[in-house]
Amino acid sequence: MAPLLFDTKESLSQLVSEALLGEKYPIAKLISKIETENNLEFREFLFQELILQNPNAKEGLTIGITGTPGAGKSSLLGELCKLFLDFAPDKKMAIVAIDPSSNVSGGSILGDRTRVTLPRRDNRIYFRSQPSQLELGGLNPYTYHVIRFLRRVFDYVFVETVGIGQNEISVSLISDLSFLVMQPLGGDQVQFMKSGIMEVPEAFIINKCDEESLANSSYYMLESTLEFIKDILPDQSLPPIFKTSVTKRKGIEELLSYILQYQKRKDKNTETLTQLTQWIRNEYGRWGISIWEKLESSQWNQAVKRNPLGGIHKLKYEEEERKFVSLIQTKIK
Amino acid sequence: MSAEKKDYLLVDENGQGKPDKPWIFRTYAGHTNAKASNELYRKNLSKGQTGLSIAFDLPTQCGYSSDHEVSRPEIGKVGVPINSLEDFRILFDQIPIEEMNTSMTINGTSMWLLSLYVALAEERGLPLEKLNGTTQNDLIKEYLARGTYIYPPKESMKIIVDMYEYCLHNIPKWNPSNICSYHLQEAGATPVQELSFALATAIAVLDAIKERNCFTADEFEQCVGRISFFVNAGIRFVEEMCKMRAFTEMWEEITKERYGVKTAKYRVFRYGVQVNSLGLTEEQPENNAWRILIESLGVTLSRNARCRALQLPAWNEALSLPRPWDQQWSLRLQQVLAYETDLLEYPDIFEGSKVIESKVKALKEEAKLEIQKIVDMGGALVAIENGYMKSQLVKSQTERLSKINSNELVIVGKNKWTDGIKSPLMTDSDGGIFKVDPKSAEQTLNVLAEAKTRRNADLAKKSIEDLKQAAKDGKNLMPFSIACAKALVTTGEWADALREVYGEYNPPTGVDGQKLFLSDDKVSTVRGKVEAFTKANGHRPKIVVGKPGLDGHSNGAEMIAVSAKHSGFDVIYSGIRLSPEEIVQSAVEENANVIGLSILSGSHKEIVKQLFDELTHYKAKIPVVIGGIIPESDFEELKKMGIREIFTPKDYDLMSIMEKIIDIVSVEPALV
Repeated sequence: MAPLLFDTKESLSQLVSEALLGEKYPIAKLISKIETENNLEFREFLFQELILQNPNAKEGLTIGITGTPGAGKSSLLGELCKLFLDFAPDKKMAIVAIDPSSNVSGGSILGDRTRVTLPRRDNRIYFRSQPSQLELGGLNPYTYHVIRFLRRVFDYVFVETVGIGQNEISVSLISDLSFLVMQPLGGDQVQFMKSGIMEVPEAFIINKCDEESLANSSYYMLESTLEFIKDILPDQSLPPIFKTSVTKRKGIEELLSYILQYQKRKDKNTETLTQLTQWIRNEYGRWGISIWEKLESSQWNQAVKRNPLGGIHKLKYEEEERKFVSLIQTKIK
Repeated sequence: MSAEKKDYLLVDENGQGKPDKPWIFRTYAGHTNAKASNELYRKNLSKGQTGLSIAFDLPTQCGYSSDHEVSRPEIGKVGVPINSLEDFRILFDQIPIEEMNTSMTINGTSMWLLSLYVALAEERGLPLEKLNGTTQNDLIKEYLARGTYIYPPKESMKIIVDMYEYCLHNIPKWNPSNICSYHLQEAGATPVQELSFALATAIAVLDAIKERNCFTADEFEQCVGRISFFVNAGIRFVEEMCKMRAFTEMWEEITKERYGVKTAKYRVFRYGVQVNSLGLTEEQPENNAWRILIESLGVTLSRNARCRALQLPAWNEALSLPRPWDQQWSLRLQQVLAYETDLLEYPDIFEGSKVIESKVKALKEEAKLEIQKIVDMGGALVAIENGYMKSQLVKSQTERLSKINSNELVIVGKNKWTDGIKSPLMTDSDGGIFKVDPKSAEQTLNVLAEAKTRRNADLAKKSIEDLKQAAKDGKNLMPFSIACAKALVTTGEWADALREVYGEYNPPTGVDGQKLFLSDDKVSTVRGKVEAFTKANGHRPKIVVGKPGLDGHSNGAEMIAVSAKHSGFDVIYSGIRLSPEEIVQSAVEENANVIGLSILSGSHKEIVKQLFDELTHYKAKIPVVIGGIIPESDFEELKKMGIREIFTPKDYDLMSIMEKIIDIVSVEPALV
């Protein structure tokens, strides 16, 4: 058994204080620890420490970016990074890129960094790759906690996932603002309409708009598709559509300003509950869910769900997880 | 005069015996600086070499002047550094370029180097029609295998077409581009892939020329006649010879059917060769002499598909740069073959051979299918951009390495008959290898600094601005480049001007989704150790595979990336031309357990130092291993600097490499 670096709370608090200053290596080490199995206890310490050291921190905005492979998400992010440095000189951003490659050995090749040229030695941008670990949902089991951690250190946290169907939309559940990236005339429109994914993201990007006419025709096609959805959900306003081209360096400034000015935050209670449900389902299946639903606190949770802004205290994820774990242990015994 | 016609003899119009003229003898050479290279060329020419083949150093190939920060470790290492016209004046001093057949192995900056050559010729008062030679200028192989590209595919193709247009009207004997499949074989290409990728590239060039519509029908035929090829001949020499015959026949068909070329001489497949140095071994390097001889036969025996020019590697190229003596030995081999043997006295000796004919037919059929696939995809440029060709090559390479690892492919002295007496050729005081004097870069830098102070600064600035504007306007860039050359603009300035307009290209790495075909005991041992690591640490071991500097030979890095994934590592591999700062930043942000570097250009000491400086900056203690062409005499120094393990071409067994790496990672105190 390898010795753990965090066997004392002192070293953790030191790492956290360095991380809060934006030091890359401490941030990287903390993420690795979050990505380790059976890390509930560690997370409790970590988030406690984060709040202790920086109690009034405003949490960073989470931006989900998903889309089919080849839609050019990483290159687009690379351009966003470059512009970000000029546009938001006093802000910091992190990127978590989830790579779906995996094989029998369990190993993976994480290639997303290839598409992003990052400034050297600049603490304002941090990039981290994550293998999806054979999860078809697009998100790695630890992504949620990594994001939650990064939100306390950075002003903006981008999460890039490959999305090809219904499952991959889960990124929108943990982001305040999520984009679906498409290619012009990729035939994506019809596919997404069928799978219902069109209703999920807050905004759309038609990337690789290198040619004006193709870009415009795709734009109008998508717009009319969205209007069709609007008929089903009449109270929703039409989500914005961005036309971008990395090679022609077009539309990226508009996209970035939109992100930088975005104010709306999603309710974190809902997020916590969604993630908890998902975790229980992964670990204990439907049986676990049924136990949880019978829980006293879950009724309380239902109340929160119905009235998320009802003045109830924010749910603490680790607390909820621990409550469930102890409950399930009594059931197993 | 004999009345009887002898089928086995080559005769002239009077019936007199007349052997073929030998091919052009070249030695791919250049090192240290322009002055040292000039001396080397003049010596080689006096030894009976009949053409020049210039090797440029990596900064020159990648479009950086020697005084750029990334150039420093590479100046003069794998070729001659050329910064401005001043260096060309020194390089060709006392060499009559009007009598030379000069081959320049350069791609991304080929237009610039040709411009310098033109400027030199005009300065010497020579008519341009007299210039004879080739600029390689094949970008596709750069994207796929060698890595010294600069601009995106479409813009690179535009530059190539500019050169065809200019050369046909001004330097008619110049080959503006030379389709190079050499590096494809080095990167693992099968004969079918070499045939199909090279021919698809030629089709892409000709299609682009057609699209520009800058030639009359007659001129277009001449232009087709200017296309030449540069190939590789491997050790399976019968198959390689058949490959050359297939090339010849297919080119004849393509030029006739696809492009309607009527004049027979413009349909001839003209090619130069460097025989394969991928198959040369570091173990028992003297065996390489025989390999080189056998590989030469593949491209010379067959009169109907004989090479126009030949260059041979030296027996010790798997160890480091060859010394002048080693190059002389290679040249002598060609001379023995051409002048001592009777090879050139006979017509084609394989005509009518059933075996050869049916093998050629089979290769052609397969290659045609592959070409069709690429054409259907939208052509070679599309197949580059979508990563198709690259992934096919990485696949072939992993298959080849799997076969060497499982001893299915025999390599004498490497995986069979490995015991032997140490070669006395290696016992010289220099250890049998050549090293560039690190101080020689100063000379290059002085010439550059002096050229910059001596030139008319306004004129230089104006010609750069004109070049940029021409690029924006889509004009032919040749005249503007020549004007830059005459104004003593530098290599870096020329390339930067176009970088500003065209941008830089970052191609797919080809490693996604690749699999190794290895499943023996060694694999399970390594996977076992990886699992043990994962259990102890709660996460998989993570490796950053880094390819620093300007050396773009990425095969080694790609194979390690694929092997590490095969063993169960999480692998971060971001392609070539990274700075040590970028590699360390990746390793730090990803909290990698180990960094693996791949360096083949001989700049390992300089780069390793930069890398450790950067690790210190982050207070990160991440173990570092290195692989590449690294002479044993450098091992101690590298280990002292902190390198944990060194791998050379001797370490071909991928799983042994991975085992050493997982062992290193496992004993490190856990970083989380």
